[in-house]
Amino acid sequence: MRHIELKGVQKDFDKTTVIPPLDLEIAKGEFVVFVGPSGCGKSTLLRLIAGLEDVTKGILEIDGVDATDTAPGKRGLAMVFQSYALYPHLTVAQNIAFPMRMAKIPRDEQQRRITNAAAALNLTDYLDRRPKQLSGGQRQRVAIGRAIVREPSAFLFDEPLSNLDAALRVGMRLEISELHKRLKTTMIYVTHDQVEAMTLADKIVVLNAGAIEQVGSPLELYDTPCNLFVAKFIGSPMMNIIVGQHAAVFHAASVGVRPEHLTISKSSGTWTGVAGLSEHLGSDTYIRVDVEGIDETMTVRAQGKFNVNRGETVYISPEVENLHRFNEAGLRVVS
Amino acid sequence: MTAQAQLRKGATYQLQRGYRLMMVPALLAVAIFAIVPLAGMFALSFSDYHLIRGTNWEFGFHNFAKMLADKRLMNSIYVMAALSVLGVAAQVLIGSAVAVGLQKITGRWRVGRILFLLPYAVPHVAVALIWLSLFTPTLSPINAFFDVFGITVPAMLTSQWGAIFAIVVADTWTNFPFAMLIIMAALQGISPDLEEAAAIDGASRIRTFIHITLPLLAPALLMVTLFRFIDSLKHFPMIFVMTKGGPGRSTQATNFYAYVQTFQSSNVAYGAAIAVMLFLMAALISFYVAKLNQRVTS
Amino acid sequence: MKHLLSTALAASIALSTPFATTSVHAADEINVLMFGMPFTNGLRDLADDFEAETGIKANIDVVGQDVFESRIALSFTGGTGDIDVVHTPVIQVQRWIQAGWLQPLTDQVSEETTSDILAGPLGAYTVDGEQWALPFFAGVGLMSYRKDLLEAAGAEVPETWEDMLSVAEKITTKDQAAIAMRAAPGQGFNMFIFPMVMRAYGGTFFTDYEGGDFTPSINSPENLEALNVYVKLINDYGPAGAGNFNFAEVNAAAQNGQIAFAVEGTGIISQIVDPANSRFADVTGIALPPGGPAGRSPAIGVHGMGIPASATNSDAAAQFIEWAVSAETVSKIALAQSFPDFTTASVADNPEVVAKYASIHPDFLSTRVAALDLAIGHYRPLIPEWPTLGQAIGESVNAAINGLISPEEALEQAEADMRDILGQ
Repeated sequence: MRHIELKGVQKDFDKTTVIPPLDLEIAKGEFVVFVGPSGCGKSTLLRLIAGLEDVTKGILEIDGVDATDTAPGKRGLAMVFQSYALYPHLTVAQNIAFPMRMAKIPRDEQQRRITNAAAALNLTDYLDRRPKQLSGGQRQRVAIGRAIVREPSAFLFDEPLSNLDAALRVGMRLEISELHKRLKTTMIYVTHDQVEAMTLADKIVVLNAGAIEQVGSPLELYDTPCNLFVAKFIGSPMMNIIVGQHAAVFHAASVGVRPEHLTISKSSGTWTGVAGLSEHLGSDTYIRVDVEGIDETMTVRAQGKFNVNRGETVYISPEVENLHRFNEAGLRVVS
Repeated sequence: MTAQAQLRKGATYQLQRGYRLMMVPALLAVAIFAIVPLAGMFALSFSDYHLIRGTNWEFGFHNFAKMLADKRLMNSIYVMAALSVLGVAAQVLIGSAVAVGLQKITGRWRVGRILFLLPYAVPHVAVALIWLSLFTPTLSPINAFFDVFGITVPAMLTSQWGAIFAIVVADTWTNFPFAMLIIMAALQGISPDLEEAAAIDGASRIRTFIHITLPLLAPALLMVTLFRFIDSLKHFPMIFVMTKGGPGRSTQATNFYAYVQTFQSSNVAYGAAIAVMLFLMAALISFYVAKLNQRVTS
Repeated sequence: MKHLLSTALAASIALSTPFATTSVHAADEINVLMFGMPFTNGLRDLADDFEAETGIKANIDVVGQDVFESRIALSFTGGTGDIDVVHTPVIQVQRWIQAGWLQPLTDQVSEETTSDILAGPLGAYTVDGEQWALPFFAGVGLMSYRKDLLEAAGAEVPETWEDMLSVAEKITTKDQAAIAMRAAPGQGFNMFIFPMVMRAYGGTFFTDYEGGDFTPSINSPENLEALNVYVKLINDYGPAGAGNFNFAEVNAAAQNGQIAFAVEGTGIISQIVDPANSRFADVTGIALPPGGPAGRSPAIGVHGMGIPASATNSDAAAQFIEWAVSAETVSKIALAQSFPDFTTASVADNPEVVAKYASIHPDFLSTRVAALDLAIGHYRPLIPEWPTLGQAIGESVNAAINGLISPEEALEQAEADMRDILGQ
């Protein structure tokens, strides 16, 4: 069932178009992640949906109703900001209560929802503190608490984890994921981190220069990137892109192959190269290889421990069935 | 004693010493230009120094005792309070309103905010002269304009409250930019995310201002009010140029009265005693401001 | 806070340096402190002439009146000796003598110099048989009137304040005021003008000033009558807002044709009748200020130059003062500046000077001399307490003009203030 729909939505700042006309459907209960490099317009898109920016052209529908000119507070959405945007002069309880106060929800109902949210988010002991006295993770949870109590039809997250340290980020990611499973509310999540996108999303929207490059489930994007941009953006380490004669062999302008779809051998293989740096992660080893006839240094994943000296000659072979072929325009060639 | 057990100067000693040295001129200036005259003023306030009556250099509390019974002094305090309360209230209100308004202006019109600072750069005597002519019916373009429609604008400077109003207007015109600047700085310190968060949380513009912006501005508002209040105890140029304290004694604020006592009446000791009283008032408020500042910033 | 600070600074200097500090300049150099007037500005421009003539370098500092007051308060109370010649308004001279701030220059100026100075202004600086300063300026009260308006009203130039009331009534319409006079409170503001009315009705400040009886008499029936006239003229026949007028507003109202009469000092009157300044100059005449039952008493304000008690170079200072009031120097200034208020008698014989001021208005110099003849030296009492008294009376008079209190109450209040100030 359609929840939020953008029809030909365009955004100009002064005379610069930052988002060319764009169509997008978001279904009820879906977890959608907008991902892309910085400056790709993903935050602007989120702010258009939130109503914090005016739509220049096009229509934004929520539940099938034109909401293009609806005030942000009337869209039934809740938003969690990168900076958390907690009200510094209010306590945690007052922060969480703020949207309910604005909606004139009765006191005892407010209290009930605060108590529930605090219990769910481990904030019960901090209700009387002010934001300044909390850690980053706690502030993040207060921001989420403030969003939850409104019982919104959708949550908007604007890079909510980028101010947290790495360990906390993983924890919060899981919490948000669980929150979604529990509430089954639509969530729209903006990040530049493709790992967050892959782990959280039901549906990923890859954006580049304000335009949608591809929409799909994480694995769809991983398995069948529709163009070079998506191919390179999704997956870590990045997909190896091969151009020139080695690509021509596969009847493509360029060919992409992920590090895990290459096998490395010291004795024989399709391509001959020279080993560069090796990264030993324990479970895997990533080896950088300079292949004859290929400009870019390739990354190869070997399972377990693989020892190779720098400068040693190695042979690598792609799994042909997992090759991605692209034409001159950078679009995927379907075999 | 081993080297480890000794107190060490530390790596930043050189740097710190440099900073301490830099403070010396400031401390000297304070000592010479503030403490010495202040000590002199305090000493004088207990003396009987009078330029024409003769001075016996007898010290005591007689000047302060005289203050209690001085109706002109009481009148001057009343005038000062009226000028300060009305003036500061107007300056803070208008300054805040303009600051909030200007903040919403973006793009190339932002340069326009400089316009609002201009009155602050005009010397007070010039400000007073401008408003004196605006409030003098025979000179004022305001009166000339309304005369065309047969409307007579009353003369302000010839009634007590009219004259107080006129001085408050001149004072406000030149000093509201100070309040505006401080409030503008405070507004810039408030993250725009907060207003956006409030908008999403369903708060209207007005409720956002009342519930979010205003409480966050409160420390700056309080500070600017007190700063302006302290400064306003020094009312002088506007009165001297616009009304000379008149009509009658209606606009003789305390600082002006101290001037009259010292320079017109030659009663230097009494003038000093009034100055001491003003100083103590200002010091008291400053002390409160400093304490408040500490509480707000900690 | 500036004034508080200078008071305090003066005080601290007074306390910390009971012995005068040493001279801060060479013997052939003097410091002259004046406040801005046409004469002092002209004098500053002639400093090189003085040095060429005498070999003494004169540093002539001309400042605003407020700065002047702070500077002398500092210098005199501290006895710093950094001023050798000081601008000495006659209104201050008694107070300064009393405070011990001036030294007499009786023996240092020649008979030849003093004999060429108008007796009235010169006498104003004679106290206890000593000469304390030499005058260079005597402003007197005059009246300007609009011939065309008088003619239209079929009225004559008023000779008395009584006449003025009836003429003013004829002239005043909704769009035309009859008269403006200084009303702003202060001994140099309304108390420069109001005594002209007072004295015309026989009012005085003291029971017997010349006889030495300084019992206040400001609440006399004569003064009440005078105050009623003054208040009525300003309120009923003056322009809107006249209750706060000072000389600048009177001047502007006259030049803009908003009033028919201005009773002012020579400085302002000379601008009102000067075609270079005023559109109505060609229909404006000059007369003596109105009189009354007790005669006519034009206001007089005198400025001079004296030598501070702490001055270390008094010979050179006296030499400077003699040079400054000499016919030659004053003539130069009278020609260079707008300065008809000289007190050096023989300047009036200088044909160039006469020609210059006759071209402004033919009656100007002669009316001025007539007014000077009528003016009494103690128009405003020449006693040390005058600035204090004048301030207090001025405040009461202004309060009466603006209806804060009745004229009766104003004079009672002034009387009480006078007694209080004089310690009676």
